[in-house]
Amino acid sequence: MASERVEATGIDRPPRGFRLVARYALLGAVTFVVLFPIYTMVIASLKPGNRVLVRPLVPDSFTLDAFRAAWTDGHLGRFLLNSAIVAVAVTLFQLVTSLLSAYAFAFLRFRGKRLVFAVFLATLLVPVEVTLVVNRRTVDQLGWINTYQGLAAPFLATAFGTFLLRQVFLQLPKDLRDAARMDGLGHLGFLREVAVPLARPTMAALVLFSFLSSWNQYLWPNLVTTETDMNTVQSGLRMLRVAAINRPNLVWAGTIIAALPIFVVLLVFQKHLIRGLTAGAVKG
Amino acid sequence: MIAARRSPTARRTRPIIVTSVVAAAGLLAGCSGSGSLLDAGNDPTTSTVATTTSDDQGPGSGGDSSTTDSSTTRAPTTSAVAVSDLAPCPTAALDAITDPVEVRFWHGMNGVNETAIDALVDEYNAGQDRVRVVADNQGGYEAVIDKFLQSSDGSRPDLVQIPEYGTQVMIDTGAIVPAQACIESSGYDTSSFLDIALRNYATAGVQWGLPFNLSDPVLYVNTKILEAAGLDPTTLPANFDELRATCEQIVASGAAPTCLSLDSGSDSGGGWFVEQWIANAGLAYADHDNGRTAPAEHVLWDEPGVVELVSFLAGMIDDGLAVYVGDNSSGQEQFLRMVSDQPAAMTIGTSAALGQVIDVLGGGTIPGLTVDDIGIGPLPGPGPTPTAVPGGAALYAVAGRDDAVVAGAWDFMRFLTSPQAQSTWAQTTGYIPVRSDAAELDPIASAYRDDPRYRVAFDQLVATADAPLAVAPLLGPMVQVRAALATAMAEIYGGGDVTATLADAAARADALIADYAARNGG
Amino acid sequence: MTGREEPRRGDGRVAVAMLGPSMLLLGAFVLYPLVRSIWLGHQRCDITGNRCRSNGWDQYPDVLRSTEFVHSLAVTAKFALLTVPTGIVLGIGLAVLADRYVRGIGFFRTIFSSTVATSVAVASLMWFFLLQPDIGVLSNIGWLRTLFPVISDPGLLRDPGTALASTAFSFTWANLGFTFIVVTAGLQGVPRELYESAYVDGANGWRRFTDITLPMLSPTLLFVGVVLTSRAFQAFGEIDLLTGGGPRPENSTTTLTYLIYGRESIIKNNDGLQAASAVLLFAVLLVLSLLQFQGLERRVHYGE
Repeated sequence: MASERVEATGIDRPPRGFRLVARYALLGAVTFVVLFPIYTMVIASLKPGNRVLVRPLVPDSFTLDAFRAAWTDGHLGRFLLNSAIVAVAVTLFQLVTSLLSAYAFAFLRFRGKRLVFAVFLATLLVPVEVTLVVNRRTVDQLGWINTYQGLAAPFLATAFGTFLLRQVFLQLPKDLRDAARMDGLGHLGFLREVAVPLARPTMAALVLFSFLSSWNQYLWPNLVTTETDMNTVQSGLRMLRVAAINRPNLVWAGTIIAALPIFVVLLVFQKHLIRGLTAGAVKG
Repeated sequence: MIAARRSPTARRTRPIIVTSVVAAAGLLAGCSGSGSLLDAGNDPTTSTVATTTSDDQGPGSGGDSSTTDSSTTRAPTTSAVAVSDLAPCPTAALDAITDPVEVRFWHGMNGVNETAIDALVDEYNAGQDRVRVVADNQGGYEAVIDKFLQSSDGSRPDLVQIPEYGTQVMIDTGAIVPAQACIESSGYDTSSFLDIALRNYATAGVQWGLPFNLSDPVLYVNTKILEAAGLDPTTLPANFDELRATCEQIVASGAAPTCLSLDSGSDSGGGWFVEQWIANAGLAYADHDNGRTAPAEHVLWDEPGVVELVSFLAGMIDDGLAVYVGDNSSGQEQFLRMVSDQPAAMTIGTSAALGQVIDVLGGGTIPGLTVDDIGIGPLPGPGPTPTAVPGGAALYAVAGRDDAVVAGAWDFMRFLTSPQAQSTWAQTTGYIPVRSDAAELDPIASAYRDDPRYRVAFDQLVATADAPLAVAPLLGPMVQVRAALATAMAEIYGGGDVTATLADAAARADALIADYAARNGG
Repeated sequence: MTGREEPRRGDGRVAVAMLGPSMLLLGAFVLYPLVRSIWLGHQRCDITGNRCRSNGWDQYPDVLRSTEFVHSLAVTAKFALLTVPTGIVLGIGLAVLADRYVRGIGFFRTIFSSTVATSVAVASLMWFFLLQPDIGVLSNIGWLRTLFPVISDPGLLRDPGTALASTAFSFTWANLGFTFIVVTAGLQGVPRELYESAYVDGANGWRRFTDITLPMLSPTLLFVGVVLTSRAFQAFGEIDLLTGGGPRPENSTTTLTYLIYGRESIIKNNDGLQAASAVLLFAVLLVLSLLQFQGLERRVHYGE
C-alpha cells in the first residue's frame, strides 16, 4: 500500500508549513478516533480485575492475568485454533473448487455453459440468512454438529472465486491453450503449469478474502455447535460475554486476543490484503 | 463482477425491475403495517395441524419430516395423562452395565454458577465409575431451549436443564422422560422436596422435570445509602407501601439521587418480576389457573389488579423515586445503576445473582462498595407480605436413549438433587435448595445462620402459601409472551398509558398463544 | 460470455468433473436451502420444525405487509442510509488524506486500515464497553457527559433517538478499515498524468478532486457501496451485542435480520414464518442490488 516517495514535482510536492501542520493535525485526529476504542479496551484488559472500573483511560496498573484467564478459562486459545482450522479449510476448498470451475468456464466448450454460469452467478445474490435454517438441518442430519466439516460445509465453494479466476483466465490468449495441447499438456497439466502461475496475484487476493469471510462468520458457528470447545472466535466471544458475566476484564482481554491474529495478518500481508479486499472492484 | 453486469441483458431487464419495485412499493404503501406477522397466511389460528405431512412434502424435503416424531407420544399438557403412556424410565438398567455410560448434559449456567455446576459434575464423576457426565454450557436458558428444539434427536443431549418458562415447550416436544416415571421406577423419595418446587414443574399428577436450581427475585440494597438516609438497613420494605415510604425518605434525605433501579428485561423487570407481583396480588397471569387446569388461552394482564400494581411502579418513576434503566439486554444493567456515579439505592434481581455479586464485590472491583455494604431483602409487592413464584430450572432426561443412558442421567439427577449437593450449590450460587433437609446441612446451614442475606430467598419461598397461582404460568410461547409484557412495561415506564398499553400487550400475547396452539396441535 | 461457441467433443465430461465439486456444494448449501426456504415460507411448522402444513401462499404478501416486517424494513433502510453514505464519504476522506506523501504516512495508513482486523463481535464488544451509561468509558468523561447528557441518561444505546445511530456508528467504525483500504487502492489506480495536466491547466485542488478523482474512483465507490449496503442489510452481530433489538417499545434497532433471528423474536422456533421473512429479505436485497447496478451504471466511469 505504501506508495513509494514520488518525485517532488508539481502536484506531488509534499505539503509544507501550515499545510503540513494541518495535515498532521488531521491525521492525528483521525488516528485518535480510530484508535480510541481499541486503546480503552487494551488499557482495561491490562488492569487487574479490581481496577477495571477505576479511571478507565489511565493505564495505572498492569497485569497479564486477564489474558491468561481468557486464553485458558475463556477457551480463547481453543476458539482461535478452531477459527484457524475452519478458515484454512474453507480457503483451500474455495481456491481449488474455484480454480477448477473457472477453468471449465474459461477454456472448455460444452453444452449449457451459459446456463450453468448464470446459475453460478445467481448464487452470489443469495444472502446467508435465507439458507441458515435449512443448512443447520442438513448439517444436523449429516451428523456434523460440533464438527469442523459442519462449521465449514456451507462455505466450501464460492461463485465469487470462480468468477474472479475466470476473468483472469479469459485474458490468456486462446493460442496458449492450443499450443499447450499440441505439447501434449492435458487439462490439469495446463491448469497447473500455465494458468495457475498466471493467476497467482488474483489467487492471493481470493485467499485473503475467503479467509477473512470465514473468520468473521458470526451466526453460523453458533447454530452448529453445542460444545464450548467447538466454538469459533466470533461465536466464542458472544458466549464468553454471558459466561464470564462476573469477570468483565476477561471478556475484554478475549476481545483483544480475538483481534490480534488478523491484525498481524494485516501488518504482514498488507499488500495482498488490499488486493483481497479490492478484488471485486478490480475490473477484469 | 461489474463487467458482467454491463452485459446488454442488464439493460433489457430494467423495465421488469422498475415494475417490480413499483409493485412492491405499492403493496407496502397500500397496506403498510396491516396486521401482525403472526396472522400471515390463510387462517393459522383456527385450522388444526395435520398429523401427517405427506401431502405437503416440499421440494427436497427428503424424509426429514417423517423421521421426526420421537419415540414418545405427544402429551397434552394439563388434561390428565397416565405416566404409563409416556416414555419409560428404566432406572434399573444401570446395574446391568459392563462399561461406563456417558451422559451429555446441557445447561445454561454462567459465571460463578457455571463454575459451581462444573464442580458438581467433577465431584459426581470422581465419586463413581458407572456414569461419566459431560457438561456443555449453551450460554443461557434461551439458548438451551432453542438448541434443544432445533436439534434432531441424535444431536440432542441425554440430560437438559430447562427453566420454568420452558416447561410447556418441553412437554410438547414429546422428547423427554418425565421425572415422574423415574421417581416411580426407582422409588425416589421426594418427600423432603419443597412442595412448591415440585408443583412448579408438574401438571395433573405428572412430574415433568425434576427441580434442580430454584430462585426468586429479591431486593439488593446499598446499606450505606440507607444508613445515610437515617434508615435501619436490617429492616427492609416488605410491600409496595413500605417500599415507597423508604424510597421517599432516601430521596428526600439526599442520600442518593434516586432510590430504585427498574429494568424492563424479559427475564427480569419487564417479565419475570411482574409475574411475581401478579401472584403476590393473588391474581392469575393467564386463564385456567395460569394454564394449570387447562391449556391457557388468554393472559389476564388487563385485570384491574394488574393495572393497579403496574401503575404503582410507573408512579415510582414519575415521582423520581425509581429510575428506569432500559431493556437490560446485557442482563446486569439494573445492578450497574447501583454503582454509577448517580447511584440507585436498591434494585431487584434474582437470588441466583447473589454469588456473582459477592464475587464481583469481593474482588474489590467497585471502589467504595464491599460485600458487607450489600443488604438483601424480600421482594416487596402489592400484597401485604412477600411471596414468590419459584424461578430457576429443572432437569429433564431425554427419551429415546439406551436404557443405561437414561438410567445414568437419572442417577446424576439424583446426585444433583441430593441434600449435600443442594447445600453446596446453594451456598456458592445463591440458589434456593429444592429440599428442606438440604437447608439443615453445611455449608448452607451455617451460611443461613451466620449471614441472613442468604436465607431471604428461601424464607420468602417457604412463606408462600400453597395457593394454586403461586406456581409459574404454563404457556407454550412463554419467551415471546414475556417479551410482549416487557415491551409494554418499557412503554409504561416511558410514560405510556397503563391500561391501554397492557390491553394492547395482552392482545399480542393472546395471538402468540393461539398461533402456538394452532402450530402444535394444542 | 464469449459469443457463440460450438461444444467440443470430450469437453463435456471434463466440465462435469471440474464443475462437479462446486456445483455439488453450491447446490446443496445455497440452491437447495433457497428452494426449500421458499417452499417453507408458505407453511406453518411446530416448534421443532418437524411437522409442517400449508398455510397458503398468501402468507408471503401478508408477511410483507405486516407491521413487524414493515417496521424492520424501515429500520434496516434507516441503518443503511446512516452507514453507507457515511462509510463512503469517510473512506474517500481518509484515503485522500493519506494519499500524499508526508513523513510517517505508512504508520497512519496502517492505523486507518486497522479496524479491518476487528470482526463484528470484537467491534461491538468494544463499543458496548464505551457506551454503557453507568460504567462505560464515555460516561466517565465528565466534559463529554456535560455536553451530551444522553450519554449517561438514559445512555446512547437506550435512547430510542440515538440507539440506531450509535449502532450505525459502531458499524461504520468497524468497516472504516475496509473502505479505507479499498478506496486507497482505487486512488493509486488513477494515472498521475491526469492530475499533472489538470495542474498545468490551472485547476485547483477541489476541481481536480471533482473532475478527476471522483469520476476515476467511481467503480471503486460503487463496489464499496454495494458491499456496505449488503453488510448493512445483513447486520446482526452489532444488534445482537449492542441493543438486542431495543430499546423497547419502539424496537428502534430491530433490523430485518434481527427480526428473524433475534433472541426474543416473535417468530423464533416458527420455521414457516422465519423462512417467509428470510425469503422476503432476499427479495428486497435482490431488487436493491439490481437497482444499484442499474441506476449507477451510467454514471460510473470505467477507466479502461
